[in-house]
Amino acid sequence: METVSFILFSFLGALVMVGSIGTVWSRNPVTSALFLVLNFFALGGIYLLLEAQFIAVVQVIVYAGAIMVLFLFTIMLLNLDDEQALKEKFDLQKGFGILLGGVLLVEVLYILGLKINLPQKSTTLTPVEIGEAKNIGRELITNFLFPFEIVSILLLLAVVGAIVLAKKNFSPNT
Amino acid sequence: MALHDLLLALPITFATLWTILLIVVEATAKRAQLTFSLTSVGFLILITMMLFPSEQGYAFGEMLRLSPYSQFANFVFALSGLLVITLSQSYLAKENIHFGEYYIIVFIATLGMMLMASAAHMVVLFIGLEIMSIALYVLAGIMRKDLRANEAAMKYFLLGAFSSGFFLYGISLIYGATGEMTLFKIGIYLQENSATSLFWIGLSLMMVGFLFKISAVPFHQWTPDVYEGSPTPSTALMSTASKAAAFTALITVVLNVSSQTENNSNWIFALSTIAVLTMVVGNIAALSQDNLKRMLAFSSIAHAGYMLVGIVAGSDAGYSAVLYYALVYSLMNIGAFGVIALIEQQRELTSASDYAGLFKEKPLLAGVMALFMLSLTGIPPFGGFIGKYKLFAAAVESGLSWLAVVGVLASAVSAYYYLRVVVFMFMREPQAENQFEGVVLNPTLVLIALLVFLLGIFPTGMLRFAGEAMKFAFNM
Amino acid sequence: MNVIFISVFLPLVGFFLSSLFSLTKFIGHHESGKEKLVGVLSTLMIAIPFGIFATLFASFNGEAQIATLYDWFAAGAMSIKVSYQLDSLSLFMAMIVTGVGSLIHLYSIGYMHGDEGFARFFAYLNLFIFAMLNLILADNMVLMFLGWEGVGLCSYLLIGFWYDRKFDGIGIATTTDAANKAFIMNRIGDFAMLAAMFLIFQKISALDYNSILSQKEAFDSTHIFWITLLIFIGCTGKSAQIPLYTWLPDAMAGPTPVSALIHAATMVTSGIYLTARLSPLFIMSPDTMNLIAVVGIATAFIAATIGLTQNDIKKVLAYSTVSQLGYMFLALGIGAFGSAIFHVTTHAFFKACLFLGSGSVIHALHEEQDIRKMGGLAKVMPQTHATFLVASLALAGFPLTAGFFSKDDVLAKTFESGNYLLWGVGLVTAFITAFYTMRLYTLTFLGEARYNTDKHPHESPALMTAPLWILGALSLVGGAIGLPAVIQEQNWIQSFLSSSVASVQAHHLEHSNEWILLGISSIVAILGLAASFSIYSKKTVHVEPEGVTTVLYRKYYIDELYDAAVVKPFQFLASRLLAPIDNRIIDGLVNGIGSSMVGLGGALKRWQTGVAQNYALVITIGLILLVGYIALT
Repeated sequence: METVSFILFSFLGALVMVGSIGTVWSRNPVTSALFLVLNFFALGGIYLLLEAQFIAVVQVIVYAGAIMVLFLFTIMLLNLDDEQALKEKFDLQKGFGILLGGVLLVEVLYILGLKINLPQKSTTLTPVEIGEAKNIGRELITNFLFPFEIVSILLLLAVVGAIVLAKKNFSPNT
Repeated sequence: MALHDLLLALPITFATLWTILLIVVEATAKRAQLTFSLTSVGFLILITMMLFPSEQGYAFGEMLRLSPYSQFANFVFALSGLLVITLSQSYLAKENIHFGEYYIIVFIATLGMMLMASAAHMVVLFIGLEIMSIALYVLAGIMRKDLRANEAAMKYFLLGAFSSGFFLYGISLIYGATGEMTLFKIGIYLQENSATSLFWIGLSLMMVGFLFKISAVPFHQWTPDVYEGSPTPSTALMSTASKAAAFTALITVVLNVSSQTENNSNWIFALSTIAVLTMVVGNIAALSQDNLKRMLAFSSIAHAGYMLVGIVAGSDAGYSAVLYYALVYSLMNIGAFGVIALIEQQRELTSASDYAGLFKEKPLLAGVMALFMLSLTGIPPFGGFIGKYKLFAAAVESGLSWLAVVGVLASAVSAYYYLRVVVFMFMREPQAENQFEGVVLNPTLVLIALLVFLLGIFPTGMLRFAGEAMKFAFNM
Repeated sequence: MNVIFISVFLPLVGFFLSSLFSLTKFIGHHESGKEKLVGVLSTLMIAIPFGIFATLFASFNGEAQIATLYDWFAAGAMSIKVSYQLDSLSLFMAMIVTGVGSLIHLYSIGYMHGDEGFARFFAYLNLFIFAMLNLILADNMVLMFLGWEGVGLCSYLLIGFWYDRKFDGIGIATTTDAANKAFIMNRIGDFAMLAAMFLIFQKISALDYNSILSQKEAFDSTHIFWITLLIFIGCTGKSAQIPLYTWLPDAMAGPTPVSALIHAATMVTSGIYLTARLSPLFIMSPDTMNLIAVVGIATAFIAATIGLTQNDIKKVLAYSTVSQLGYMFLALGIGAFGSAIFHVTTHAFFKACLFLGSGSVIHALHEEQDIRKMGGLAKVMPQTHATFLVASLALAGFPLTAGFFSKDDVLAKTFESGNYLLWGVGLVTAFITAFYTMRLYTLTFLGEARYNTDKHPHESPALMTAPLWILGALSLVGGAIGLPAVIQEQNWIQSFLSSSVASVQAHHLEHSNEWILLGISSIVAILGLAASFSIYSKKTVHVEPEGVTTVLYRKYYIDELYDAAVVKPFQFLASRLLAPIDNRIIDGLVNGIGSSMVGLGGALKRWQTGVAQNYALVITIGLILLVGYIALT
């Protein structure tokens, strides 16, 4: 079991990385978006490995399903098929960015490589049960009720903001 | 969700309900003036609520922590919100963006800040931060037809999302390292166990998020561009209340992990280095700015540096000084931006030299602006002096005299660029006849000036509030 | 006790009233009736406090009283109060400030007549007096600092009062530049002062004078050295001493009553007041005291020699003020705090009189300030002439005038302390002082008229001459408060002030020695006056250094001797050596700091590329450093 999950994790991890790099690297926006879909699916797989079934499903439905479809529609509507316009030179800044990212990665990996004792949470539920939609739902409307509710304000704000920024009629009401 | 929780968290309950009311009214009545009035009423009710002592404790199962601390902070936010919207009205009308939604978004931003100041759980803290940030992104870009404003909003959004990512990552690492998301439980864990390097990475990442919001060096570079491009009243809110919110949240976090940061020379060194850099870079860069909004942007960076000195001091005196300074700074900066907005909307004038001869034509307006400038410089008897004095005195008490000296030196430099504005207003001839015709002094500005002055000569009451806020902040 | 509050806050009321008049444009074009109303009202706001202080003075029993208005704010464990301390020193200073202040207010009614900013001028003046009273009467250093910054600000506003006028100075072109220079120099001093306050606070957690002085043993010697040094640096800024003195001559860009009030009689002496106030602290640090004495005498000497070469009537007086302030610091440095305050007093009288007199002359000649274009004014302006002469004699230290006694007191105390070199230089400076004073007087009032004949100078109105007479009389008899021991056994001012300032000198001079010193002082003063008179009363136009050679033939041998032995070397020293130091090094340094800061700001601008990606990179660098430093170590 251990080896199976290790092999699966490695495979999915590699997919996530391929997906992310492909998203940034690809010049065609549609390809880019499709790589992102790959990334989301692989990530969903990793969630499954961690026995977070609900999150995995949500990841696929919301991101890969809803958001990506919207992305692709937008790309197609905007007709962004001029690959030359999107072509970026590999300049100093980009190289510097990659270098810094690498330094940060090495740094964090090094620190995490040091021996760290992680605290153990005591719970009556098995890991499989924690990941169930029922239990997450229960958490959300008991312990996490307040954040759950207050996020609605965030969404409301997003709606209002989007309307203000995208409002067609630009004559203000008084 | 018991009724008790709702009552305990009354300010937040109220603000949430009022937000919904505002949206409904705006959607049905579609009258910006009405929305403005209702938003002001909302702010006024919040301010009044904060003036009365109320029950303290945890609400919603340790999600919120209501205390004199959050009360003081909420007071600052609501006051800033109210002042900003009263100064916005004519500006928005002039720029043809007088939407009722503007006020709603300001109100929601304030709600986000209140969540940050009252958060007892890192999830709430993050949601509060995001509510505030997203509201500010919208406010920055509300002048949709203005290219600069679009650029500003875009930059702010991209970099803000970038830093929020770090912030969230930090939260998850701290959760991983301590197994807790509730701040005081993290504190208990850290008292009983030593901090792991995982925790330190998490804390550093969270700090990056905070330092970005308060625009500390080297996370500051977005500030001048965004402040310059955004509509001036939005800038006023960004530079004051949002910073105050970030500081109050920062204090909450730092206080709960104080068992690790107190007397930790690494922590103190890292933070004081940032404080020094922030004060020095902010003040020196401000020297060569001619555009007043950019100048005030750098000056707001410098002021974040002064407030960081209070955080580095790490004592109750330091934190209460930060609270007090947040109040005074919000007032004087909103005032200064208010004057700029007033002149900008009439005459499109934003550089210091354009203010030449303002005293001759609009003596009261020039006097008010001079008062803000002097207070920002930290000249007695204005509020800014008391605030700075408290901050630096706290540093001295914590054995960081050198930091206080750097602060005093940096603010000596700042006198140059603040007084340059005064020189132009009082000691130069106007560039053209009737340069400032049509500029009408907003009475709110006089009120703010009066408050800044009163906070300078009768600061005791407010200082006591700030001190008590700290005393009862986290002793439960 | 409440009368103290009344007297401190009346000037503030005056400020608000005058501001109101100014804002409402109450005074129309040349409405002298309304001008008088505003002027008299403002003058009353200063004169009434003077009356109160005089009454308090009459019934003063030597005990310090503290009146607390309210708790200003709390910082840490202690609370800072708005409270005023009335002891012999502060009462005495307050009387000088309000007394001279009300005379100068009165004078200004005439002087500022017809000026567009008449009400604004009086508003600033009243605000200045308010700040000055806070500086003097405060019982703690924070409130003192409020006054300290306040007087600086008012001085700044008043120097730049006529902001549109051209002003010829070193590296500056307009009065605004002069104001800026004054402000920047003062900021350097203010920074030192704040740093000293934090050092004191760190040690004893209190900033009121009583606590500081009663806990002075809590400071160790390094501490006390730095505290006193920083305070002294603060004082060099405000009181125009080396190296921060070059702003004062440029400050003459302000209206003349301002020069008289702020830049001669009151504000510039606040450094001396503060040092005297904290004298017990200063005498614990002999190093600082020596430094003060040396800086004082060096300033006195250098400023006096520069004064020899100046041709602007106000500039001569300005350098003379710097020089006299140097004398006061000399007195402080040798521990004769009472003598310093004595000289402050007499100097306030005669220098205010001289400045007001020069204002009267400038007024009469339609803003002419060059003494080469004056002369012969004694006949047309008899009252100004008479009072100017008296005050000049006092400045020169002519026997039995006020200035004579105070300057002799300083010199005698210096001699007493055994610093013969300081005493010698002081004596030479006294000679130069007498010399340039007489030069100024002679060129202005005697000889032929060198001004344009169409100017028709006339005597100033009574409103302006009355203060001149009062100040002139005080310059003559003001020395009575500090007569030397040979004349009056008990020196009144020394014993009056003894309750509030420290005293280090126990031994006294023998009477015979004292007579000798008095004699030497008199001779030096008279010699200087006579030498100068004999040169300048005969020469008419050739007063510039390069002109000296052309007149060599026509002079008496004695003049040539004086010229060669005295005037030329000093003029050479002043113009070739000291002036360049003055211009290039000190100004260069101050300007250099300023411009390098601005340059640095410009360099920082380049980092501000406007490209969001670059900002993100910098954020990442910051993140790496922060994580690396906090988490790795």
